Amino acid sequence: MVDLSTILAGFGDAFSLFNLAFVLFGVVLGQFVGAVPGIGPIMAMAIAIPFTFGLDPLPAIAFLVGVNKGGLVGGAVPAVLMNTPGTPDAAATAMDGYPMAKQGKPLKATKMALFSSVTGDTFSDIVLITVSAPLAILALKMGPIEVVALIVFAFSILAGLIGNSLTKGIIAAALGLLAASVGQDPENFTPRLIFGYWDLFDGLALPSVAIGMLAISEILHRLSEAHGNMRPAIVAKDTGNPDDRRVTWAEYWSCRYTMLRGATIGTILGALPGIGSTAAAFMSYAMTKASSKDPGSFGKGNIQGIAASESANSAVVGANLIPLLTLGIPGSVGAALIISAFMIHGMQPGPLLFENQGRLVYGLFGAMIMANFINLWVGQLGLRLWVKVVSAPESIIFSSALLLCFVGVSMATSGLFGVAIMLIFAVIGYLMASFGYSLVIFIIAFFLGPRFEKSIAQSLALTNGDLTQVLKSPVAVALLVLSVVSVVWFLRKNAQEDAE
Amino acid sequence: MKLKSKLVALAASAVIAMSAPAMAQDWKPDGPLTIQIGFGAGGSTDTMGRVLANVMKENTGWNIVVENKPGGGGVAMFTGLSQRPVDDKTIGMGVSIPVLVQLVQRGDQLPFDIDSFDYLGTVAKAELALVASKDAPFDDLEGLIAYAKEQGTLPVATMAPPQVLMMKQTMSTTGAEFNLVTADGGAEVMKLILGGQVLAGFGSGEHYPYLESGDMKVIAGANQARLSYAPEVKTFVESGINAYVDPVFFLAMKQGTNPAALEAISAAIDAATKAPEFAEIVQNAVKGDPINMGAEGTRQMMVDGLANAKILFAK
Repeated sequence: MVDLSTILAGFGDAFSLFNLAFVLFGVVLGQFVGAVPGIGPIMAMAIAIPFTFGLDPLPAIAFLVGVNKGGLVGGAVPAVLMNTPGTPDAAATAMDGYPMAKQGKPLKATKMALFSSVTGDTFSDIVLITVSAPLAILALKMGPIEVVALIVFAFSILAGLIGNSLTKGIIAAALGLLAASVGQDPENFTPRLIFGYWDLFDGLALPSVAIGMLAISEILHRLSEAHGNMRPAIVAKDTGNPDDRRVTWAEYWSCRYTMLRGATIGTILGALPGIGSTAAAFMSYAMTKASSKDPGSFGKGNIQGIAASESANSAVVGANLIPLLTLGIPGSVGAALIISAFMIHGMQPGPLLFENQGRLVYGLFGAMIMANFINLWVGQLGLRLWVKVVSAPESIIFSSALLLCFVGVSMATSGLFGVAIMLIFAVIGYLMASFGYSLVIFIIAFFLGPRFEKSIAQSLALTNGDLTQVLKSPVAVALLVLSVVSVVWFLRKNAQEDAE
Repeated sequence: MKLKSKLVALAASAVIAMSAPAMAQDWKPDGPLTIQIGFGAGGSTDTMGRVLANVMKENTGWNIVVENKPGGGGVAMFTGLSQRPVDDKTIGMGVSIPVLVQLVQRGDQLPFDIDSFDYLGTVAKAELALVASKDAPFDDLEGLIAYAKEQGTLPVATMAPPQVLMMKQTMSTTGAEFNLVTADGGAEVMKLILGGQVLAGFGSGEHYPYLESGDMKVIAGANQARLSYAPEVKTFVESGINAYVDPVFFLAMKQGTNPAALEAISAAIDAATKAPEFAEIVQNAVKGDPINMGAEGTRQMMVDGLANAKILFAK
């Protein structure tokens, strides 16, 4: 165990003006690239890593953590203000954020996103700092069979988001899984559905699909409604009520259970490599909606919806560092980039990291805490700016957003191939949305599909195809039972709502 | 183009061609060089490639851009490289084994072969090991095989086709049964071993911290030579299983690149692989020293590697 003096020395290293400057720079950069549709914090980190070569390890990693955390806050901005989430994990935030913005409360909605994001993030950081080691050991016990059960459970929760038509929901999920099966199969490494394009060998790139479906298809939708009118991108009608421009303490406090639930879901899913923040955001959203006394108000500008999504997706980032620091296993692309930065600076994440580099790890924790506070502060200032930006005419905002999506996706996927895929999915997304198929269900199925398939293949290999082996895992059995319960419960609830 | 300018161009290219050897050290790219990495951001190829580019930039003053072109273990990137016009500025960086495996398995579908490229050099060799938890009731490959026979079957994690083939070779040679679980990279193999879901698995570097902490032990080396960090451990070949893999990180350009450019870039890579800051990152990534086989050595490595891959895949 690391002794107190190392911990204090680490925090002492972190809280210097020099590090503060790098964290601040990282957060500002992260919030900016997160808010610009199409770019996103992962790419900003990939580009920034070479610039950290000349720095000492602590400011270098603090800077990257700042970019990552800032990006999460920034990602909610276009989702709320324009309904064009720059990253898939902000898609859940758009569901209630955008209706709120349309009601003339864009500042209130983005501020709530900021506060709940920082709250979720801080929660998972505290868990990381205090109990990462035991949590990591628990996460290890989640083998392939348990992961399959967990993903089944996640899908069952999402039944709460299906809406009116069960058939359309299932079709959307099936299409998402079909898109996820492009690329080499996880068992025999044979290319599937690649039609001779080797760029598809590792599957459809997530940025292409997510930005095409979520951002570009929304822009197409707006274009089709424009009819030559000049309108601002959001109707920033000032309601005159100062409460519509801020989040009151009472409102924040009323979301405390929502945020706690979101942060817990985010922390648990973040500690398990490969599930990701998008699933966490939607699970939290669906659970919040299900437990609400007024589920009908969700999707129409309920502040709880924003709190649920943002607290969960931000909690994933801190929790992703749990398997990373204790086991050397990255839980996401962002975490893989941080590992690469660790390696460049001569450190090997893993079981001995706390022992060999304890001071540095606690320095990193100190930097994370600083980043949370700075996020809050920079966010407060930045949000006003973004709200001003989007009150410009639609024709300017959406053409700029379109351009940025093209640039961002071509950078993220290294070429125009990714842009072509993005455009194909924009059209698919536009058609699906027009005919009432849920894009959100599609994206989640697409996102979880590869992990789901891989885990099923692993489970079958481990058990020689003997399904009764599942009964030997109490965790898997419990999750599967819960899945059945939740599907039945959601379907009955949907039926009741329809009856009303 | 008018005849006159054509003649001038011809004359100019003749002059360049004749004076190429003398001009190698004077050659300079007429724009930024691009290193295309055949893997995504954050992996060991990406990490080494970015540091290599940085050291080359410092040494030569050239502007070097690094791009990630993931897909099919480098096949997507090399496909793209083989299709583009020769520009003396685009370099591909990949790992030999995944490319060779695809060439053996579906070479007829690929638009390139080994001769589509001019090779620049190598930067490192990956050492592949079969590892197990420290509590596993066996210490070497023979022990693992005996235990598998005793238990009926034994779960082993792999992460790529050659490793699957090595284990299948082991099964057919010894008659032991293994449940082969394919994992998403070395980190997941470690997770499966630590979580107790599998009893052994392949690691290409992800296992070092666990060797250091004593949580894991090396069961066998999967390369042709023994592992540099565990020389007492026997290889698969030494244990009577006729299979090995030698993944090498290498760089190449499209075949037909200006020889002066090839020579200058090759020299810049060679100088960079000797720099201490590059050695440090290689040490962190693959636990070995930088290895540059040179341009001709790299070509030979690919030719020999293809022959070995054909044996492994029985083609």
